[in-house]
Amino acid sequence: MNLREILHIIGALLMWTAAAMAPPIVFAASEGLLVPWLVTALITAVVGLGLWRLTPREVSINPREGVAIVGLGWIAVVLAGSLPFIITGTAPTIPAAIFESVSGFTTTGATVFPVIEELPKSILLWRSITHWLGGMGIIVLGVAILPLLGMGGAQLFRAEAPGIPSERLRPRIASTARSLWVVYGVLTGTLAVIYLLLGMSVFDAVNHAMSCLATGGFSTKTSSIRDFSSAIQWVTILFMILAGTNFTLHFRFAMGRWMSPFRDEEWRWYLGIMAFCWLVVVASLVTAGDELLTGELIRRAMFNVTAINTTTGFATTDFTLWPTLAQVILLGLMFMGAMGGSTGGGFKTVRSGVVLKHIAGEIRKVLHPQAVVVTKLGGRAIRPEVLHNVLAFLALYMLTHGLGTVVLASLGQYDLVTALSASLAALSSIGPGLGDVGPVSHYGIMTPMAHLVLSMLMLLGRLEFYTLLVLVAPGTWIRSGGDR
Amino acid sequence: MHIVVVGAGEVGYHVAERLSNQQHDVVIVDVQAQRLDYIVNHLDVAVVEGSGTSTAVLEEAGLKKAGLLLAVTNVDEVNLVSCMSARAVGGLVKVARVSNPDFYRDTRNLKPDAFGVDVLINPERELALETMRLLQSTAATDIAVFAGGAVQLLGFVVPEHAPIAGRTLIELAEQEGHRPILLVALERDGTTIVPKGTTDIRPGDHLYVTARADEIPRSLELLGYEQSNVKRVMITGGSTEAYYLARLLPQHHVQTTLLIAERQRAQELAENLNKVLVLHGDATDVELLELEGVGGTDGFVALTDKDETNILSSLVAKRAGAKHVITLVNKRDYIPLARHIGLDAAVSPRLSAANAILRYVRSGSVTRVATFEGSDAEAISFEVSDTSPLVGRPLFEADIPEESIVAAIIRGPSVIIPRGNDTLEAGDTAIVFALPEAVQAVTDLFPS
Repeated sequence: MNLREILHIIGALLMWTAAAMAPPIVFAASEGLLVPWLVTALITAVVGLGLWRLTPREVSINPREGVAIVGLGWIAVVLAGSLPFIITGTAPTIPAAIFESVSGFTTTGATVFPVIEELPKSILLWRSITHWLGGMGIIVLGVAILPLLGMGGAQLFRAEAPGIPSERLRPRIASTARSLWVVYGVLTGTLAVIYLLLGMSVFDAVNHAMSCLATGGFSTKTSSIRDFSSAIQWVTILFMILAGTNFTLHFRFAMGRWMSPFRDEEWRWYLGIMAFCWLVVVASLVTAGDELLTGELIRRAMFNVTAINTTTGFATTDFTLWPTLAQVILLGLMFMGAMGGSTGGGFKTVRSGVVLKHIAGEIRKVLHPQAVVVTKLGGRAIRPEVLHNVLAFLALYMLTHGLGTVVLASLGQYDLVTALSASLAALSSIGPGLGDVGPVSHYGIMTPMAHLVLSMLMLLGRLEFYTLLVLVAPGTWIRSGGDR
Repeated sequence: MHIVVVGAGEVGYHVAERLSNQQHDVVIVDVQAQRLDYIVNHLDVAVVEGSGTSTAVLEEAGLKKAGLLLAVTNVDEVNLVSCMSARAVGGLVKVARVSNPDFYRDTRNLKPDAFGVDVLINPERELALETMRLLQSTAATDIAVFAGGAVQLLGFVVPEHAPIAGRTLIELAEQEGHRPILLVALERDGTTIVPKGTTDIRPGDHLYVTARADEIPRSLELLGYEQSNVKRVMITGGSTEAYYLARLLPQHHVQTTLLIAERQRAQELAENLNKVLVLHGDATDVELLELEGVGGTDGFVALTDKDETNILSSLVAKRAGAKHVITLVNKRDYIPLARHIGLDAAVSPRLSAANAILRYVRSGSVTRVATFEGSDAEAISFEVSDTSPLVGRPLFEADIPEESIVAAIIRGPSVIIPRGNDTLEAGDTAIVFALPEAVQAVTDLFPS
C-alpha cells in the first residue's frame, strides 16, 4: 500500500470538488455569502493542490490501493462537501453539516433542515450538485476524465459501481465511464427541459432534475414534489424508474439495441415487483380507509412506492399514516432498492433475485439429493464466487442494519419503528423513513451522535461495505513488495 | 458415383458400407492407418491415409472425378475445413457433419456456403428429433416423416389383444371403410414382405404403416395402443444426443430429468440447459432411478455411450413401469435382442447418420430416403416427372415390382394414401416403400 500515491489521486478529487463549487458561488454573490463560499472553495482547492503537488507524478495502482482510493476519496470529498454548510453557518452543528453532505453525495436525500425554503439558493444548488456527482459516482467521473488513473481505473470503477459486475460497455474503462456519464447527463438535461415546459422555474427544474436522476431526494421545497402539478408528478415517476434502471441498459438502448432492456431478466423483475407493489398499495389504501379509487389516489400510491423502490425518497404524501400493509411493503422495498448499475441504492433487485433463485435451488437439492443445481441469471450460470459474494453481502447488509438499529436505539429517544427505518433508509440511501423520520419530518430532530452514525451507514450502503471495510481491515496498510 | 468419405469413425464406416452395397465407388480418407486396415478387411472400398483437410490427400482420393464429398469425422472443424479445401472442385456436392450446437444453431453467422459446404448434417440432432417423434407416438418402434410431418411412416409390433389381430387386409378394408391408412410392410420371423389382400395379421408381427398425421390416433387404436400425452420424460447419459433431446423436450412442455454419470459433464449441461432437472448419478443405479420416480414417467430414453448400460437401465425403467422406453443401441447385433427382451424402441446413431446422409446421395428425382432398424427395407421419396411410365394409369394396372408399394402420394397441399384405383400425376411426390431387391427397379420407374 503506497499512501503517497493514494494521496496524489485524492488531491485531484478535491480539486474537482472545488471546481464543482463554482455554480453555487454565482448565486452566493447576490446572497451576501460570497466570502464564506470563496473561503470554502479555496480551502478545498489548496488542500487538493497541496496533496497533488507534494506526491509523486508516476502513479500505478494495485487492486488494494484502488479500493483504498475509493474509500478514502469518498471520505475526503464528503468532508469537503460539508464545508459550505459549516462556513456559511447554515448547519446547526458540524455533525449535522457532515450528515447533510453525506446524505447528498450518497444520494440519500435525508435532510437536517426543517424548512428548506429558508436556505440560500447557493446552498440548495450545492445540495443538488452533491446528489448529481454522487449518483453516477465521483470516482467514475474521475476515471472518465482523468487519464492518469490509467490501468488502475478498472479497480476503482468496480469499487464504486454498485451491484454485480456486468459487461463493459466499451473495451476501455475510461470510455465506459464516459459513456455512462453522457447517458446520465443527457437524461438529466431531458428531464430539466420537460420540467421547464411543464411550468417549473429554471432553478427548480435544474435542481429537481439532478436530484431525480441521481435517485437523491433533495428538493427546493419542504413539501418535496407534493405542491407541483400532477403532470410534473407523472413525469417524475417515469424518470425515477429510469434512474433506478441499470445504466448499461440505457446505453444499449441509445445505441439502437431497442429490445435489450426487455431481454434483461433483472429489468423484468424490477418492473414486475414495482407494478405488483403499486397494486397492493392501491388496494390497501382503498380497502383500509374511506378513500375512493381516484386518479389522484393511484398517482399518490404509485409516486411514493416508486420513490421508495428506486431509493429516490421524494414524497407527495405522509406515508407514515398509510395502513400497516402498505408501510410494510415500503419497508421491504427500502431493503431491496433499485437495479444494480443504476444510481439507486439498496440491496439491489439483481441480488434479491439471485438469492431467491439460490434458495429455490437449495430446495431442489433437498427433493433431489443428486441434482446438479446451477443458479442462472439471464440464462447464464452464475459463478460460485459471485454467489458467495452475494450471500455474504446479504449477511453484511442485515448485520449492519441490525447494528445500526441497536446503536440508534441506544442513543435514547427513538422508538423501534424510527430506529429501524432510519437505519434502513440510511443504508439503502432512501431518505425518509417511517415513524418520527417520515416524509413530512426531518433528521434535524436527531442528536449529533445519531447524525454521525447515520452518515456512516449511508457511506457503507453507497460503497457497498467492502470498499470501506478494507480501510480498517488488518493487513490493508502493510507495505507491499513493490512499494517505495 | 465416385464418393470420397473423410473420417473412418462409426459414421464414416457405416455410410461407406451402405454406399458400397449400393454399387457406388467409395474412397475413405483417415489419419489412422490401423482403422483403415480394419476397413479394407471388412468393406469393399478404397482407403487413403492422410488428413482430410489436405487438398493433396483429397486429390489422391480422386476428388476430381467425385460427385460427393462426405466429411463425417467427429471433429466439426476438420469437416468444415475439408469442404473448404474441396471448394475449387466443380459439380461436387459437399456434405459436412457438424455436431457443435454453436455451429449448427447459429446459421445467421455461420453460413454453410462460406465454407463451401452444400449441406450441413447433424446426426446427433437427427437422433434427438427421431426420439422426440417416437415419444410423441408412444407405441411406435420406428418413425419416418415426409412432407413436413403430414405423412408418417410408423413401425409397430402387434400386441396380443389388438383388434386387428387375426384379420386379413380384405376384412379390415370392409370393416373399417376407406381410411387413409395403408399397411406397407410386415415383418414376421425375420423376413419382410409387402402384404397382399389375403395376408392375415398375427400378434407379434412388426407392421409398417403409412398414415395421414390426423389418422394416427385411430391407427393406434386399431393396433391396440392408446395415444398418450407425454408429460414426464427421463433421459440418461451426457451425450450430444441427450443434450439435443433435453433442449427439445421442455419446448413441448415436457417435464424433463437428465441423469449423467460424469460430474463435469453434468455441471456443463446444467449450465447450458433451461428447465431441465440435471442429476449426477449412474444410469444403472436402481435406487436412484426409483427415487426419481422412473416408474411414473411417460418416456424413458437411455442415451449413454455404452449399449450395455443403456439396455440395463432401460430394463430397470420398463420393470418399474415407465410407459415408453427408447434405447440407444450402437451394436447392430443388440437390436433384435433389445426388442426380444421387451424394450419398446431402439435408436441408433449410425442409422441416424446414414439416414441424414443417404438423403443426399442418390441423384436425380430422389429427395429423401429413410431406412429402418428392423429390416433392410427403405422408404424413398420420388418426384414424379411426365416421363415416368406410371403416370396416368391406375396403380393396380401399373407395373410396380411386387416387393414394393406406393405408400403415399403428396399432391400440392394434400396427402393421398393410395388405393389400387388411384393414379400418379406428373408433379406429385410419391413415397415408395421397397425391399432391397426392388430398390433399383423402383428407381428406374422414376426417371428425373
